[in-house]
Amino acid sequence: MIQVQDLKIHYGDFVAVDNLSFSVKPGSVFGLIGPNGAGKTTTIKAIATLIEPTYGEIMLGETSVLHQPEQARRMLGYMPDFPPVYDDLRVEEFCDLFAHAYGQSVAERKEKVEKALAQTELTTKRRELCKSLSRGMKQRALLAKTLVHDPSVMLLDEPGANLDPKARIDMRKLLRKLADQGKTILVSSHVLTELQDLCDEIGIMRDGKMVVSGSIEEITQRKKSSRKLEIELLEESHQFTEFVEQWPTLSELKKTHDTKAQFEISHSGGREEIPGILSQMIEHGLKVTSFTTRKSKVEDLFLEIESGSSEFDQN
Amino acid sequence: MNPLILKGIRENLRPKHLIAAGLFSLIVCSTVYLTSYLEGSEGKYSKDPQTKEWVKGESSPVNGARNAFTFLLALQGFYLMFLGTGRVASITAEERESGLLDYQRMTPMNPLSKIIGYIFGIPAREYYMFLFTLPFLGHAILVGKLPWGNIIQLYSVFFCSVILYHLTAHAVGLVVPKPRAASWVSRIVVLGLYVVLPGLGQAGISFLSFLTILPTYFGKILPIIREEGYQKRGHFDYEARIADFWKDVPFFDFAISPTTFTFLMQGLLILILLITGYRKWRNQALPALSKSSALFIYSIFQFLLLGCLWTFFDKGEASGLIGQELSANEFSGKEEKILGLILVIGIFFSLSFLFILCLINICCPDRHLYLKGIQRIAKFNLARIPRIADESSGLGLMLILTAITLFTYSVLIKLALHSDAWVLNSSFLSLCLIPTITLLLAVIYLQASREIWFNLGFWGFVGLLWITPLLASLVLGVGWGEENIGLILKLLAINPLSIIPMHWVYEHAEIVKLPQEIAQNINSAIQFGLLIAGIFAILLQSRLYFIRKK
Repeated sequence: MIQVQDLKIHYGDFVAVDNLSFSVKPGSVFGLIGPNGAGKTTTIKAIATLIEPTYGEIMLGETSVLHQPEQARRMLGYMPDFPPVYDDLRVEEFCDLFAHAYGQSVAERKEKVEKALAQTELTTKRRELCKSLSRGMKQRALLAKTLVHDPSVMLLDEPGANLDPKARIDMRKLLRKLADQGKTILVSSHVLTELQDLCDEIGIMRDGKMVVSGSIEEITQRKKSSRKLEIELLEESHQFTEFVEQWPTLSELKKTHDTKAQFEISHSGGREEIPGILSQMIEHGLKVTSFTTRKSKVEDLFLEIESGSSEFDQN
Repeated sequence: MNPLILKGIRENLRPKHLIAAGLFSLIVCSTVYLTSYLEGSEGKYSKDPQTKEWVKGESSPVNGARNAFTFLLALQGFYLMFLGTGRVASITAEERESGLLDYQRMTPMNPLSKIIGYIFGIPAREYYMFLFTLPFLGHAILVGKLPWGNIIQLYSVFFCSVILYHLTAHAVGLVVPKPRAASWVSRIVVLGLYVVLPGLGQAGISFLSFLTILPTYFGKILPIIREEGYQKRGHFDYEARIADFWKDVPFFDFAISPTTFTFLMQGLLILILLITGYRKWRNQALPALSKSSALFIYSIFQFLLLGCLWTFFDKGEASGLIGQELSANEFSGKEEKILGLILVIGIFFSLSFLFILCLINICCPDRHLYLKGIQRIAKFNLARIPRIADESSGLGLMLILTAITLFTYSVLIKLALHSDAWVLNSSFLSLCLIPTITLLLAVIYLQASREIWFNLGFWGFVGLLWITPLLASLVLGVGWGEENIGLILKLLAINPLSIIPMHWVYEHAEIVKLPQEIAQNINSAIQFGLLIAGIFAILLQSRLYFIRKK
């Protein structure tokens, strides 16, 4: 549904987005992750027709965002990271304004506004002035406004940034539901755990480039050191350090607790090797009290990419 | 109804606003109206020529209503032109800064509907306050027996001006980043464009006067008000001169009604602002004017200049209060005549040059835009960037604009050379050569500097090159004028705007009785100025060429 090809955006001499390419399937949720200044917001704004790219192509289905912006805008719903609202309008008037601007009749507007307010749980706040809403409520009002013209593509820049934990969960459920109804959603966020549970696919950006993209499963599988071993010993021992150093598929030994002998090690070998590691540790006289394995999360990968140490960088 | 107008009404006209703004307008309006009505209707004291005694005239409601009309018009102007303009600019800038304008940009509404929505929706409260002045207006017209035809003409021009000012404010709001600054910048721009600039209309460039409602007021209302109300006032002579001046507008060999001319002028400006607004609404990144619209607008500007200056160069008659003083027929000496002519030529070139400077800033692509063009032609397999594309170099357009300016100038010079009103010492060629070289060189280096640097670099360069030598020559002139006259003239000549009047003075050195030594100094200053302009033109164009090649 969304196809971004060789996108380049320059601000004077500064390159905000550099040769970015990715695609989002219809009815799926795609998450853009990256540190500040990675180019996520610029990319979303370019898709939203608000920034003209220096080079590249953006397609929404068969519609070119650059050459047919008017048609593209009809398909788009955009929610920026900071939620500006018309302070002196009531919530329902705010939604009605946009339904009206999208050319809907009075009856249609009434129905659509009602539905959008119900979806965002703002029905009880409908008569309140936007300026009296909390930031989280404003975010919801903004989402209601985005939904009111029933867009097929939704661009959400940090949608959970101002929400409390319950509202975040609600927002996530709502976005998932909208995707299930066929809407294509592109969402950016710093809250990685949110995207992990919400997105069908993610793309990790740094310095205007897409470092890696695909489904979370694919990305973590492609990453060689994708498994972590969490080990707790009865007491610290220099033998343990020697053991890790000598074992070829173990690396990156980290102590994870100040007082207890708890460690985390990266393991790049196969799953079948793990029982052997445990038995060898015991044979070496190490007093293991806990031994667990966990798959590396997107967050680990993200942190690696942010620090520039990811293997994807080197590829 | 336009959704943005409805939004403006909802935001600005809730019951509390209706009561507060309504009461405010009613109290202010009734105070202004009643005070001026009572003051005007009272019989005035005058000296009886026979008895030499002061006699109080009869009180007249007609005089009162006519007196109050002007004050009421000023109050209406304050509401819509001052308060409304500031509000349109600040709200537009506020929405642009917060991102609300992006929401509107994304809606599929036509850009024109969006502009209309903004300029009529935002000042909804000011229009509401205006409504409260209407009963008083009705009273003033009926009691003051003001002719409906003239009132309709005045208010048509009034609303045309209001739309023009609000459009200007909207355009300023789209450009100036800070909302508070935008509010004041728009008021300053409105004052500058529509109050200060019309002052030049008094120096013979009459079309500039028609950016306000004043010509229609002076031409259509003041003569009627003067019939009774003001005849006993001391400033009668001055007002009579103003009223006479605005009765018709000299344009080429025709005389056009002030109302028609105002509509033409304001219509042109509204068209320019609509083009700008339309492009900015379509895409914020687009320059305010395309190359073809810049060419069209500049051609009309030159046509208006030519039309207004025609009679001055042909018959030596200039319109406007200052223009009449400058007219050849007003002067007896050849020296005064030629100085008047040089002044008007200076104004002509300054206006044309400043207009071209603005268009260079708007239509010449900076490095970012040019790079975008290069990447696009690679994508579409084109040999070069299309000439009228926003991304293409502005040199061609600027040379065409220069040619248009020089054409207008040459027509005016031809008129002056064939006119009996002026006695010129020089030939057509010698009067045209230096202005042509000056304008060409200046335009070439300005275009290159615009395309090499971004906004700050460009304006910094223009400021340093044009303003600093001017200030230095001012200091030198005040402190050590006589001994450094050569240096002062050279500093002045760095600014191309000074070269042309200097050249005219040099060409007519005998008529203006210029000492030989100073004439020589002027000549070397002109050569120095052209040398500097030439060096900049070659250096900057070469640099631009190498940057692009790279």
